[in-house]
Amino acid sequence: MEVNVRDLTGDIAVIQLVGRLNMASAARLREAVTSIVDSGRTRVSIDMSGVDFLDSSGLGAIISALKTTRQAGGDLRIAAPTGQAKLVLQLTNLDRVLTAYDDAETAFNE
Amino acid sequence: MSDAIRHTLHMSSPPDDVDTVHGLLEIVWTEVPAIGMEDRFSLETAIIELASNVMRHADPGSGVSCTLLIETFPDRIEVTLSDSGEPGDVQLADRDMPDVLAESGRGIPLIQALVDELRYDRTDGLNHWHITRTLKSDG
Repeated sequence: MEVNVRDLTGDIAVIQLVGRLNMASAARLREAVTSIVDSGRTRVSIDMSGVDFLDSSGLGAIISALKTTRQAGGDLRIAAPTGQAKLVLQLTNLDRVLTAYDDAETAFNE
Repeated sequence: MSDAIRHTLHMSSPPDDVDTVHGLLEIVWTEVPAIGMEDRFSLETAIIELASNVMRHADPGSGVSCTLLIETFPDRIEVTLSDSGEPGDVQLADRDMPDVLAESGRGIPLIQALVDELRYDRTDGLNHWHITRTLKSDG
């Protein structure tokens, strides 16, 4: 899985994930979010449009990242999950706590 | 039984991991193109959850060896994952999704939401996990 981080204005960072968010890659998402929060940015938006597979290990990393941002006074939002990832978010009821925004760039504008 | 298409994968974890299993599934979906997207999503998720569970919990410290058998019938897919690890200690009955902010505990209920049957047995010193999913007729 590729993890690409870019800064928006203010304290917002966008993480673009490309590939599979599973047991083999979940730690990289946790590390990326910890690093972002340590650098002072507390609002994180995850662009999931390139995630072609998501499982419970990946969900655990997203929840962990959500807690990391909230404990620092910020928040985490997800954007544009498709196909299998969308199905998994629905089946695990996570779509109730993590609204899927259309676009990671504007997720904090809404 | 003779009309099943069989794919088998032998793994040792480490170094093999769930991406090794994704690699086999890419071959299955290519060789059995009639399987619809919903069936693929569901089976791939259930199989990866099962493999993750075995690699995470069955490893006694020296690694775990597994054999994954995927049998595709005209109306269903049957999956058996056998491993040499610690005996499975998983309560399969009546598993609900954990609290939404829990960081673990979704694997088994997710599998159960995606397949018709999930069974476990231990024979000859091996754990055997069985999954069956009936294929959608419009696949």
